[in-house]
Amino acid sequence: MMTNTLSQFKTEIRHFFLISLLNLVFAAIAIAIGVQYMVTAILGQTLDPFIPGFPMIPGLRMLSGAIAMICFGLGISWILTTVRIFEDIVTIKDDLDKDGDAIADERLTCLIVRMLAHYRDNRKTVRTMILVCTLGGLCFFVLGIANSIKVLTISSGGFAFTLDNLLLIPAMLLTLSISLASLLSSWYFSKFAQVWDGRLHEIGESECALKTKLGLDDQ
Amino acid sequence: MSGRRTVYEIYWEILVYCKSPRLFTSIISRCDLNSKTGQEYLEFLAGKGYISKVTDGERAGYQSTPAAGEYIALFSSLYQKLFDKNPGFRL
Repeated sequence: MMTNTLSQFKTEIRHFFLISLLNLVFAAIAIAIGVQYMVTAILGQTLDPFIPGFPMIPGLRMLSGAIAMICFGLGISWILTTVRIFEDIVTIKDDLDKDGDAIADERLTCLIVRMLAHYRDNRKTVRTMILVCTLGGLCFFVLGIANSIKVLTISSGGFAFTLDNLLLIPAMLLTLSISLASLLSSWYFSKFAQVWDGRLHEIGESECALKTKLGLDDQ
Repeated sequence: MSGRRTVYEIYWEILVYCKSPRLFTSIISRCDLNSKTGQEYLEFLAGKGYISKVTDGERAGYQSTPAAGEYIALFSSLYQKLFDKNPGFRL
């Protein structure tokens, strides 16, 4: 039983670690891109011919500037929440790697208890992370689309758009891949949260056996 | 170990740590307890016969009894059983 338990526990910790790491990297990129898009939205303005010295603000640029600002804020919140989760996962993963396959039965149980305690402590943070990742993903998706469009015309007959520049395509793809990564990690986090909630419930149920063993069932 | 733990997890941790004789201060520091709750846990376990007081010269400590082995084994099997099956989604 222990070999199966060990490999399952190791796989889950490694995946959780990878998703957290991916989150950290993309959160850092999100902050950088958020700043870049904000600067572009503010500085990349043409002057208004009717009001001398005043920049003309097309709706699309203003929209992308506002979304970039939201992305920047979400990026910071995203990085802070991920770091909180990441630190403890790294410690558990390092201990697991240090002990290798010859890990003692009690040591493995100790790491499982630590992981459960860590999850109990960070349950709310994981929920926030799921929300931040989803919102960040959606914002970046809109940002990727909005920044690659030069002109958008909506009429009663439908809509038409013109792409700004072919050079924008790599930047658009990067933005879209960030949005995909954040949506994917949000999905994984929600799945992990579901499984760990189930485990906490299972532990609650098996506490009866421990209670009986300690002679507390009649109290 | 720190973090939010159940009483059963704390009992298990104390019993495993006390497999060799341990001082009260070492126990509360290792299990991240304050002296009042640490004393309560130790008194409970001693009352159930899972832990006994031992003296080594002038120093008094605590050590798990053979009876504690059953609780430790049951606890380990229950917690390891949590990872018996796949989480239900592809990793």
